[in-house]
Amino acid sequence: MENLLWLVPALPFAGALILIITGTRLSRPLVSLIGVGSVGVSALLTLILGSQFLSAGPTEPVYQQVVWQWFSVEGFNPGIAFHLDALSMVFIFVITFVGFLIHLYSTAYMADDDGFARFFAYLNLFVGSMLVLVLADNLVLLYLGWEGVGLCSYLLIGFWYKEPANGYAARKAFIITRVGDTALAIGLFMLFQLFGTLHIQTIATEAPQTWAVGSQAATIIAFLLLGGAVGKSGQLPLQTWLPDAMAGPTPVSALIHAATMVTAGVYLITRMHVIFELAPTAMLTVAIIGAVTLLIAGCAALAQSDLKRVLAYSTISQIGYMFLALGVGAWSAGIFHFMIHAFFKALLFLSAGAIIISLHHEQNMFRMGGLRKLLPAVFWTFLIGSASLAALPLITAGFYSKDQILWYAMAGERGNTWLYLAGLLGAFITAIYTFRMVFITFYGAPKSHVTHPPGPIITVPLIILAVLSLLGGFIELPHNFGHVVLFSDFLTPLLPAIHANDALGTSEWIFQLVAAIISLSGVYLAYVFYLQKPALQANMEQSSLFRAVHRFWYSGWGFDKLYDTLFVRPYVFLARINKNDIIDKIYAALAAIAQVLNRSLAQTQSGILRWYMMGVVVGALLIITLSLLP
Amino acid sequence: MRLSDLYFLMPLLILVGAATLNMLVVAVKRNHKVIFGITIVAHLVAVFTLLQLNGSSYQIPPFFVMDGWGIFNLGLILLTSLFVTLLSYAYFEQREERKEEYYLLLILATLGACVLVISQHFMALFLGLEILSVALYSLIAYLRTRERSDEAGIKYLILAALSSAFLLFGMALVYAVTGTMSFPEIGVYLQSVSELPLLLLTGFGLMIVGIGFKLGIVPFHMWAPDVYEGAPAPVTAFIATVSKGGMMGLLIRFFSQADAYRYANLMLIFTIIAIASMLAGNLLALRQKNIKRLLAYSSIAHLGYILVAFLAGNRLGVEAVSFYLVAYFITSLGAFGVVALLSDTERDADQLEDYRGLFWRRPATAAVFTAMLLSLAGIPLTAGFVGKFYILASGVNTQQWLLVLMLVLNSVIGLYYYIKVIAAMFAQTKSVQERRKVLHPALSFASGGAMAILGLLLIWIGVYPTSLVQLIRGLLATFMTTF
Repeated sequence: MENLLWLVPALPFAGALILIITGTRLSRPLVSLIGVGSVGVSALLTLILGSQFLSAGPTEPVYQQVVWQWFSVEGFNPGIAFHLDALSMVFIFVITFVGFLIHLYSTAYMADDDGFARFFAYLNLFVGSMLVLVLADNLVLLYLGWEGVGLCSYLLIGFWYKEPANGYAARKAFIITRVGDTALAIGLFMLFQLFGTLHIQTIATEAPQTWAVGSQAATIIAFLLLGGAVGKSGQLPLQTWLPDAMAGPTPVSALIHAATMVTAGVYLITRMHVIFELAPTAMLTVAIIGAVTLLIAGCAALAQSDLKRVLAYSTISQIGYMFLALGVGAWSAGIFHFMIHAFFKALLFLSAGAIIISLHHEQNMFRMGGLRKLLPAVFWTFLIGSASLAALPLITAGFYSKDQILWYAMAGERGNTWLYLAGLLGAFITAIYTFRMVFITFYGAPKSHVTHPPGPIITVPLIILAVLSLLGGFIELPHNFGHVVLFSDFLTPLLPAIHANDALGTSEWIFQLVAAIISLSGVYLAYVFYLQKPALQANMEQSSLFRAVHRFWYSGWGFDKLYDTLFVRPYVFLARINKNDIIDKIYAALAAIAQVLNRSLAQTQSGILRWYMMGVVVGALLIITLSLLP
Repeated sequence: MRLSDLYFLMPLLILVGAATLNMLVVAVKRNHKVIFGITIVAHLVAVFTLLQLNGSSYQIPPFFVMDGWGIFNLGLILLTSLFVTLLSYAYFEQREERKEEYYLLLILATLGACVLVISQHFMALFLGLEILSVALYSLIAYLRTRERSDEAGIKYLILAALSSAFLLFGMALVYAVTGTMSFPEIGVYLQSVSELPLLLLTGFGLMIVGIGFKLGIVPFHMWAPDVYEGAPAPVTAFIATVSKGGMMGLLIRFFSQADAYRYANLMLIFTIIAIASMLAGNLLALRQKNIKRLLAYSSIAHLGYILVAFLAGNRLGVEAVSFYLVAYFITSLGAFGVVALLSDTERDADQLEDYRGLFWRRPATAAVFTAMLLSLAGIPLTAGFVGKFYILASGVNTQQWLLVLMLVLNSVIGLYYYIKVIAAMFAQTKSVQERRKVLHPALSFASGGAMAILGLLLIWIGVYPTSLVQLIRGLLATFMTTF
């Protein structure tokens, strides 16, 4: 079976290729069949591989498959080779399975769109690239997937390209992630220079032998890799592209901006964890970036009025949690949260999409209201997703994954109180903005008409994801109750386990209780403000301080403005004074020199034989002279 | 002479036999198809007998040595010549001249190149060179009623004779000093002396003139555009590939057997030649509107690139040369094949204008030509890219930064004129030119098939170069024990 590993990424690519070449000539059902079917078969293969993987027992099974060696020159041998271990298993499971549900959902969501075939071609290409990224056994291939994902996000965010704003958002996403990509590329160059290879496993074995903990090279490379990761994962300071990326169709948001692409950074850091562990400064930075991002994005989410933008900021914030987990060395907790987050965030986006399309592309929450009765199925799934996001205790998967992160942020070897407090505060904010969203959207008086009630193709994926959002958490329960460690056991041979501080060992339940209370009180606060006493909110809006803070948070802490002043304006200014392009002059001069040389050399091609003979003779003289040089 | 010598020389003997047979058949009855068939079969059989040889080194004293390098070059030359033959049929079928002798001359020219690459003695070298050259004189001027045909033939004849004289004199000087004409023995002599006599250096210098002429490198390149333009398109393909590749094979054999890489002066000369060839070739091609001349200039530059790998003077360098030769042969055959394919009864399709909007008229042909041009430019996923990468790697490996820098710079310049042709092919033209008499489709079957194979090979080697690299490494194992 493991020989079929290559099919997992190959099938979506094949689907994309067929759709790109013949797409416009195929009927819609056929396009759906190719688009959904290719990912579906991939998901099926993944499940089979996964069951084999699990039944192989506790010894770490690793499937290696070299599909194709491009060339091999002087130790540089880029190849298409796949490496499947527990970590990539988790990722390909989420990518293909959640991806399949999103594809299925899209057949209904995009049914009336003119670019139906184009949409599925891009989606397939995206899934294929992401699979290459997580399955790559060398960093060159990983980078190929990385850039493929970037390209697809550009294509999909700007899918409705006739609207200039969408094109702008697509370019913004592409350019800002490019900043991170550049850092990553430089990091790869340095790795190649130092190790002479970009094979991930080789680097992982050689790095600890080459570097001492805290050595300069390891730190620089870890920071460069981190640069790539924050770009792709929408973390501070490169987070500004993600909210705007909501310009794409909603299934795209679910696929790219919740479940898969933005987690590429999390994957990269986990995959290269050996290097990060050799660079404690970088680890601490990862944790701090995560903590700060989760707070900033959480606050920004509080102020949004567009349903999808709330979800976008919450994505940034939740990935902040993952970074926090990675930063304190709780690798498996980070990956666990990634998986659970993929379930509930895809669920939330898809539910939001169902609402948006039911209301004829209305995205403003304040024009919704009362949808509880109008769209009951969507209400329940959205509620489950929200509960998981807000980490309501005991029943939701989100509680278990987030609790683990908070615990290790406090009790882990690299954890400290500040990180813990940031995470806790973030959990509080998360609960508030999540239920603010739920109450505004689904309760109160209806403000709009439902025109397209969702059909079964839309609701079935929602229900599957809702079940996963609730039950997914039970494969990993805390030590003090249940003590189920299926997930971390699965990852243990690969990722170093984290040891909790013994002094705090007995008091874990206190932290859990605090987290539960925090989350519930956040929900209550939202209830009071948005449902019970809306007058309180109106009162607050009177105060100018509140309005200022609201505006500030609404704009995402003014990062766009800041970057605009810091980078865009100076750049535009330079471009303006350099209208005639001084640097281009160099190239123009080169071209002109080439032209001049061409003209003068062309004189020698006179077609006159005696000149040619003269050329030979002069050449002979020169060569003899040179050969007689001492 | 032993009996087993005949076995090892079988590919060459088959060519000799085929040439004789063709001559006799022509004497009895002229038939283009029959001669074409004999030529094809002869090539196939020659390749087949070549495959029977294993790569071990076999001496046929004093003239020849059949080793991995020889087998590689023989295979390359025979297959290239086979493709030239395939492309020739449709081309000559629509021409009024007598067609049959062409194949005879082609086989002889191929034979000459084959002799060249397995020779390890000045006598064999000169013999092979002259068989090749004499056949080429008449091949170039074969369409003798054409405007530029005679001119090209005469030019080539005079210049080739001139450079042969240099070569002969150089060999004589070397012989005078060393007392031997065999490469290994020259190597032994060079080992024994600490400082080279001036006479010997002069001899080497003069030999470079003759070699440089055949390779078409600066400053002996000036014949190339005129001859390329005047010769029939299949013959141009032959000159660009077999004739140059044969000489390159010989040059590398001489240098490694005589271990001449040690001499800084010779290396300096080739460094200057390489840089000058790259620059002159690319710069001259910039504003060229005639496709055959453009490809001539481009081939000057490409020989410059090959010299970069040659100058590395180690195993990697020879690997790079071998790989690049294969890529360059495929690409040149493809490019001139397209020219031959598009040529009508009146003239060769050598003007840039002939290619404007080609994609909209003949998409498949345009696609193959685009692939060939991209490969010449060294764009990834074509054979040319891997070849160029190989050369860069060998240059970086031996830290010849100047050469590497020039290679990169010239690749940029080269891109301009290759892209220009591609852009012309994709340009939308308002009026479709109606100027050619369309051939019977069955006639161009051989050409079309050959072009398709070349296109596939180009992509295959670009995507999966490992197979070719393994083959080359295997064959080179018995060669170059000195490295």
